[in-house]
Amino acid sequence: MDSGTAYVVAAHAVIVAALLLYVVAVALRTARLAREAELLARLVDEAQTRREAASAAEPVAAARVDA
Amino acid sequence: MTEARSTRVPAVVGTLSAALTVLAACGVFLVAPEDTDQGIIQKIFYFHVSIAIASLVAFALAGVAGALYLRTRDEKHDELSSAAVGVGLGLAVLVVLTGSIWARASWGTWWVWNDPRLVTFLIVLLLYGAYFMLRSSADGERRMRYSAIYAIAGFASVPLSFYSVRVAESFVHPVVFTQNGADMPGSMLVWYVVAQVAVLGIALTALLLQLSQRRAEKALMRIKLRLQAEP
Repeated sequence: MDSGTAYVVAAHAVIVAALLLYVVAVALRTARLAREAELLARLVDEAQTRREAASAAEPVAAARVDA
Repeated sequence: MTEARSTRVPAVVGTLSAALTVLAACGVFLVAPEDTDQGIIQKIFYFHVSIAIASLVAFALAGVAGALYLRTRDEKHDELSSAAVGVGLGLAVLVVLTGSIWARASWGTWWVWNDPRLVTFLIVLLLYGAYFMLRSSADGERRMRYSAIYAIAGFASVPLSFYSVRVAESFVHPVVFTQNGADMPGSMLVWYVVAQVAVLGIALTALLLQLSQRRAEKALMRIKLRLQAEP
């Protein structure tokens, strides 16, 4: 490979490397977002379970007061 | 419907841009003729100039979005402006890197400090690099306002870079696009246009991806705050 070709290859390799780096950065950010979304979904589920448990306990407590 | 469309647009634009990039690469290396003066080194031109123009378009978009933010105080415009600066800055770094390789191959040196195009483009790059420092130094509405003003002021440096090489008397950087049109044969110009459209498409895809990720981050933050507010 002559030096001119080597420079052309180098310039385009820089562009391809930058594109790949960008794809990796986007993938990492997307993975982080997915992790956060999963965590929040679990927290929402737990909060929902707590609310349901509390509302199920309330009529019993009210009935005890009536008695 | 709108949500589905907002996730589909980056995918469609990205796929088209990738296909165009492959087409442009094939055209540049297999079809376009070799330059009689520079030989194979001139092949760097196609993507180098396309990336440079795409970066300047991104900076212009950042300035316009900044002006729209100042007028409407809509956060969406601030997001667009900062995302455009991010994309433009990434492209500008690529322009300097590929330009430097071209300079080494063509002029025998990595950088020429007395060339107005190179120096003014480096100034543009540094100016927009400082944008993120400014952005991280303030919070809330102040951050958005300062960023918008900086994006508009920063754009003033873009015509400086564009016209410097035309106004200056001594330079080594070639001028391809003049008032009389492109200084190259049609067989080269057509592949430059394909490469330019491809790079603009890639830049647009990157911008759309950044915006959708920021939207997702904000939505997650809203849910987090609501969960924290619950007893």
